[in-house]
Amino acid sequence: MTGKTIVITSGKGGVGKTTATANIGTALAMRGNRVVVVDTDIGLRNLDVIMGLENRIVYDLVNVIEGVCKLNQAMISDKHDYELYLIPAAQTRDKNSIEPEQLREMCVELEKEFDYVLIDCPAGIEQGFKNATSAAQEAIIVTTPEVSAIRDADRIIGLLESSGLHNPKLIINRIAPEMVKRGDMMDQKDVESLLAVEVIGLVPADEQTVVAANRGIPVVHNAKSSAGGAFMRIAARVDGEDIPLMDLEPKNGLLSRFKGMVGMSGRAYSHA
Amino acid sequence: MLETSAVQVIARGTDVAFVIDESAPFDVVAAELREHLSKKSGLWSKGDITVNVGQRMLARDELAQVKSIIETHSGLTVTRFWCSPESLGSGDFQIEAKAAPMPEPVHTVAKPEVKQAEEPIAHNQIVLPASSSEEAPLTSASSITAIESIIEGLKARHNKNGVRNRNITEALFIKSTFRSGETLEHAGDVVVLADVNPGAEIRADGDIVVLGSLKGWVHAGASGDTKAVIIALELPSARFQIAKYPGTAPASARRKSNTSASGPKIAYVRSRSIHVAPYAGRFARYNKGVPYDG
Repeated sequence: MTGKTIVITSGKGGVGKTTATANIGTALAMRGNRVVVVDTDIGLRNLDVIMGLENRIVYDLVNVIEGVCKLNQAMISDKHDYELYLIPAAQTRDKNSIEPEQLREMCVELEKEFDYVLIDCPAGIEQGFKNATSAAQEAIIVTTPEVSAIRDADRIIGLLESSGLHNPKLIINRIAPEMVKRGDMMDQKDVESLLAVEVIGLVPADEQTVVAANRGIPVVHNAKSSAGGAFMRIAARVDGEDIPLMDLEPKNGLLSRFKGMVGMSGRAYSHA
Repeated sequence: MLETSAVQVIARGTDVAFVIDESAPFDVVAAELREHLSKKSGLWSKGDITVNVGQRMLARDELAQVKSIIETHSGLTVTRFWCSPESLGSGDFQIEAKAAPMPEPVHTVAKPEVKQAEEPIAHNQIVLPASSSEEAPLTSASSITAIESIIEGLKARHNKNGVRNRNITEALFIKSTFRSGETLEHAGDVVVLADVNPGAEIRADGDIVVLGSLKGWVHAGASGDTKAVIIALELPSARFQIAKYPGTAPASARRKSNTSASGPKIAYVRSRSIHVAPYAGRFARYNKGVPYDG
């Protein structure tokens, strides 16, 4: 079996890389794939918390790379019945503890066993970013419809292309459909035209995402949540299904409809 | 015509030309040139001579050596050096550099009866100042610095007038989005067939054409050419530079840049400041430009 290694990155911190990794990983596993998620944010680990596996950590990524333990000893099985494993980051070390080649070697080993190896990339463009991206064959970039996040995503796309990772896919996270409708937030077209990459998913801002993260149960387990549905569709697209992007419509309450009618179509943001 | 491999003397009427083999190394050329001149020393009357070095890149001591060989072994005085525009136009007249591996032939044209400086000075011509003593010290520091200062002056004149050979350096085409953090320097024109995103930087000695939206920072005519222009299908960028003139979008233009005033734009230098006008063909006169002076 030869799987794919996909890095999930963003440049800017706090746009939802870790949430996206946990949810796409879980969703891919729910679709019947064998999935391992690797947290490379050494020193600032939190993928384990989002997935609710914090208490099960014995060994971590740095232990594997330094040869302290075997690869399968560091793999933590998910609480649910899916073929989903986590390799957590070390919390007491830093990004310079591992080299890009070492992570690459480890991912080659994992690819033999798994369909998908998802790498949760740390924020920034330094050593941690280089480690995470050097191991991957594909990249998913997470951004939010904010100028700062888009600027960083632009930089990241440039860096990925210069290191040979072409055609990254884009997830636009935390879209507030009402704000888009009012013209207070960039919509998909604005982001797409600026970054000129393929959009693989639109994730609406959803309270349930935060609730799920706090509980340690990725939001894809919640069938009713809009963000969970969005991540399920993203996983399907990663898995090769051709699902068209859904228009994110605001909930059609009387008030929001009224606001939409009077709302100005003017744009309150600047692209520059 | 003499039977030699590297240096041949050809008489053309009153002119005498030394044609020097292009593949000959400098040492051989120098030795043979010396030999010829000393053999036929009676042949040379007093006069001025112009040396055309062609495309050959000569080190400054080699240039001085050529001058010294000619002047010691004949009554001739080297007053001018010619070099091909190719070695000057791109600003890399490498007087410091070693001889190129495959140099062009060096023509040494002796015009014994012609008086000095009758013609106007061409742009690729180096006129040496008349030496005060008839017997100039040959490899002296003064002659070297004289040559150097002339070349410096020549370069400065080039840059000031914006004279450049546009055909030397080809335009560079960028076919994908030029992203934040990416930088580029190019000695010719630059054409971007996509957007230039904010945070990207392009410096070009020639023009910059963006067939997309120019949001980053660009510098056209980076080596001082004030005739360079920036053309973009959309120009939301509020800051760019042409030659030494920085342009900043006026506050009002910046405010409405997102809504109206779209369409192709050209930025050019007019009366020492950058103006931006709707683009309507390369050679149109742009009178309705908006000054980009902040």
